[in-house]
This record gives sequence, structure tokens and C-alpha cells, in this order.
Amino acid sequence: MNIALESLRPCLDGAVPAVVATASPDGTPNVAYASQVHYVDPEHVALSFQFFSKTRENVLAHPYAQVQVIEPKSFRHFRLKLHYLRTETSGPLFEYMKAQLAGIATRTGMAKVFALRGADVYRVLDIENVDPRLLPAPAPPDALLKLRGTLDHLGACDDLAQLADRALAALARGFGIRHALLAMLDESGGALYTLASLGYPASGVGAEVALGEGLIGVAAREAIPVRINHHTGDYTYHAALHVADPASPRIPLPVLAHPHSQIAVPLMHGARLVGVLYAESEQNAFFSHADEDALVVYGRHLGALVVQLAALPDDAEPVRAAPAPRPSGAPLAVRYFAHDHSVFIDNDYLIKGVAGSILWTLLNEHAASGRRDFCNRELRRDPRLPLPDFGDNLETRLILLQRRLAERCPQIALAKTGRGRFRLELARPLLLNTA
Amino acid sequence: MPTPLILTPEQTAFLQGPLSMNVGAVGRDGWPCVCRAQGVVVARDRRSLTVLLSASRGRAVLEALDTGSAITLVVSRPATHATLQLKATRAVRVGVSTAHRTTSARCVAAFAGELETLGYAAELKTTLASVLPTDDLVALRFVPEIVFDQTPGPDAGRVLART
Repeated sequence: MNIALESLRPCLDGAVPAVVATASPDGTPNVAYASQVHYVDPEHVALSFQFFSKTRENVLAHPYAQVQVIEPKSFRHFRLKLHYLRTETSGPLFEYMKAQLAGIATRTGMAKVFALRGADVYRVLDIENVDPRLLPAPAPPDALLKLRGTLDHLGACDDLAQLADRALAALARGFGIRHALLAMLDESGGALYTLASLGYPASGVGAEVALGEGLIGVAAREAIPVRINHHTGDYTYHAALHVADPASPRIPLPVLAHPHSQIAVPLMHGARLVGVLYAESEQNAFFSHADEDALVVYGRHLGALVVQLAALPDDAEPVRAAPAPRPSGAPLAVRYFAHDHSVFIDNDYLIKGVAGSILWTLLNEHAASGRRDFCNRELRRDPRLPLPDFGDNLETRLILLQRRLAERCPQIALAKTGRGRFRLELARPLLLNTA
Repeated sequence: MPTPLILTPEQTAFLQGPLSMNVGAVGRDGWPCVCRAQGVVVARDRRSLTVLLSASRGRAVLEALDTGSAITLVVSRPATHATLQLKATRAVRVGVSTAHRTTSARCVAAFAGELETLGYAAELKTTLASVLPTDDLVALRFVPEIVFDQTPGPDAGRVLART
């Protein structure tokens, strides 16, 4: 092929509808609109299979097609000769196309009509530039340069809390991203929890997303990046439902109600999923294919840093406890529900799960012995805590707890006193009771 | 002898609206091919129509048609997605008239105007006029033998009329 398929990626975002020509066994041509022509790799594209159409009937009988795609802005047309190979009905490619189709469907007013049945994978045999006289569309800003700028702003991080904040702030500087959040995979591997956010009125720290739920959950479950370049009315692809279930305390995700562009990329360390970086914008088509590439690299970098920082040993020297100021004022009622480890302060929900269990353990230890200084190592060994054997989530859970306390109950604080060490600080007396 | 297909007044009016148009054919080697069309004229008796396309942009389609391929024309209104597909077993080239050039320019401008109302940039009119010029037009006349409703959805492919 004279033209590289990669160079056509701006044509493959669904901004301008493509058409696909096929032939029936008797040689009758058929032309139909294709909602989605998806870039798979340098030699393959996938077309969305939504209905049992003539196109589908034709390619199953005679597996050759020509698809005409259009470059937005320049309106240059390209024709691709395709050979149909297979249909995928599950897995990463299918899930990505399903999410993206939700965006395309809403933009084109077809939300109730479009549903993905399969991803039809084709080998690209030839690419023809129909309009060689025309100038290409101006190149978008260089994503590699944006990534480099982001990494420059990220700098060296000494601990996870710093990394979580800087990772998002650096995106604002490098990519101009104004709304983003970082969600970490929990110990069960079945959900993610928000560790840090950027650009929202409420931080949403502690907000959870089930694996497979919304864009963040799909990116996590499949360990793939997912990018939607248009507003989608399909609730499945909202980052998460905003309506909290009154029966189970839930912190709402802080995301935009009507994002016009969304991207979720997995934070990976090798083959292991650590979390998801989610970013969104009020503008259509904010994230390009190249931005997706760059953010995937960034996600891998962050994933490796998270694991590396979590594995650093705790400071060896015990920190001498300063004299404790006596808490004063009316006592805070702290209530603990063992079934989900949730903690309520004066009847307001604070946190649940591992973080809730940690807090309850610390408060009880302090009530029994007066201790205020703790270290991560002892928590990892504490049989009362529901931590898995590989405990590198402990550090992120402590950050989460620290941030929830700072937001919702500043009278209880966890102050860092060294690597892997922290002090419980109480401004009010506590009344502990279990439900 | 089959009953000739006569386009309805509604179909005729639709074909004169702001449309995205594409013509398809199948080459002798069995490869399907497609080319954007840039104008359509319905005959007064509504039994035939003439579709206009660029000779240079539609070389493969024209070669296929010249060697006896069937033709298909798909027209779609961007604002509503209402789409028709019309097929015939053959198409013949006819001479291009000044009226054809005027029609083509009008159709391209109408298409661009429709896209502009959908949020595409206003420069699109100029861009499309340069993508789809009228200087190497070819006119293809055919008598539709079958008309399909091709509006996206589960009913796409429904036959509306046939000879």
C-alpha cells in the first residue's frame, strides 16, 4: 500500500459517515452507510455490524468490499479495498467499538437505533487517495510533544499522594485537560475507587465504579483505552450513574453531566491493571487518536510508578510521639458497620471497605492504648484488616482515607510522619460504637 | 413485459433535496466500487434518472459500468438520515449539458448548506465545491428497477417499489 492506514486515522473517528460497497454473488452492487470504520492495526479495520443487512449478507457470500472514508476538515476522500475476515462479538475490540458507537449514535440522533451486534474485521488490501490534488487537513497538535510536556510537569514523585495529584495536574499542563480523575483497582479486583480528581466542584475521592460499569469500568475490565469523541446519551457510557443508591452509601463520581469527549486509559504495570485514568471535555473531538496513544503510554508510566512507590520500604526509625493535645468539645459519634466496614461520623457516611476498616482499627487501638503513631507494616500484618497478601493497595487506601477525612471530618486527621508512617490526630473526643 | 417502475412524487422531491449521493458498481474482477455522485436529475416521466459524477474520481465505477455492471445509487439526507437506494441492471452514459453542470453545482451547494446547519464549518461550501468540481462531469442515465428504503435501522433494505 502506498498510503499507510495509520495516516487515515482521523478519517476513522466517525466524524463523517463512510460508505461501504459490496457485491452479491450475482454481481449486483450494494452501497450502504457504515456507522463506524474502526482502526484496528496497520493492516486491519473493523466495521460495526448492527443489523442483518444486505452488506452483511453480501460479505458473507463474497468477502470483498470497498469502503470510502472522508478526512474531516479537508473532505479528502479515500477508498479502501477490504477483505472480510471474521466477526468478533465480545472482547476488547467489540467493547471499544460498542462504546464508541454509543457516542456516534447520540451525535447522529440514532441512539435508539444503533446497537452493536459484532465487529466485522477486514484486512485492508489497498488504499486510494481519491483527491490527490487537495491539501491534507492541518496536522493536529503533536501528541508526543504533549506527552513530553506532561512528563516534564510530573517530575520526580516521592510518594503516592504526590503522584496522584501531580499526575492529573500535569495533564492540564501537557494536554490542556481540565477534567480528569484517577481510579485505582481495589483488592477484590471487582471495582475501582477514586483516589484523586481534577477540575470538579466536589473531589469525589472514594467514589467507586464497578468493573464493566461505564467507560471507566469497561476500560478496566478489558484493560483497553476507550475514547468517545461525542456526547453520548447512552447511560452505559456515562462514567457512572449519578443517582446514588440510598440503600448503600455511595460517593458520587464527580464527572461532567454531559461530556462531549471522554477517554479512559488503563494504568498498567506489565500485564497487571493498577487503575484507570479518565479524562473528559465539554468539547467535541477533544481527544485525537494520537492523544489516545500518548495517554496509553502515560497510563503505563503511571502504573509502573504506582507499583514502584508502593513497594518502597517504610522508614525504619520510629518517630517520637509529640505530646498529644487533649481533644476538646462535644464528642463525635463514630459508628462502624462490620458487614461492609462502613464508618459513619455523627450519622454522616464517611467511608467503607478497607479504608473504613483501617480507620476503625486505628481509632480502637488509640482508645485502648492511647497510641497515635502507626506504620504501614503493622497494618499489613493486622489480621483485623481485610487486606490481600500483596498489600500495595494499602498506601492508596490510606491516601483515600486521609483525603476523605480532610474533606468530611477534619477533626480526625492522619498526618504523614515519614515513609510508611503516620499519626492519628484528633481535635474532638470520640464515641465509638458498632452497629 | 414487467410493469415499469415510476418514482413517487415524494421520492422525486426527496431526490431533489440536499443529499449525500454515492454510486456503486461491480468491476469485471468482482470488486465492488463506489464513488461520490454530485447531482441527480429525475426525468419528467419519473421512470429514469440521470446521475452526475466526476470522471476522474469515479474511474473504477465508470469502467465497471462501461463493461456491463449493474448500478446502484444511494442518496441520504444528512439531517434526517432518510436514505433511498435505487438499482438498475445497466446505466448508459449521456452527454453532459450546461443544465447538468448547473444541477451539480446546486446539489453540491445544497449538500454543503445542509451540513452547515448540522454544525460543520461554513468553509465546507468552498471545500466541497473544490472536491466536487463540475469540470469533468459524466452523466449516467438509468431506469430504476428496484427502490429500497435504506434509512438506518432494522427496516433498512425494505423494498419500496420494483418493476
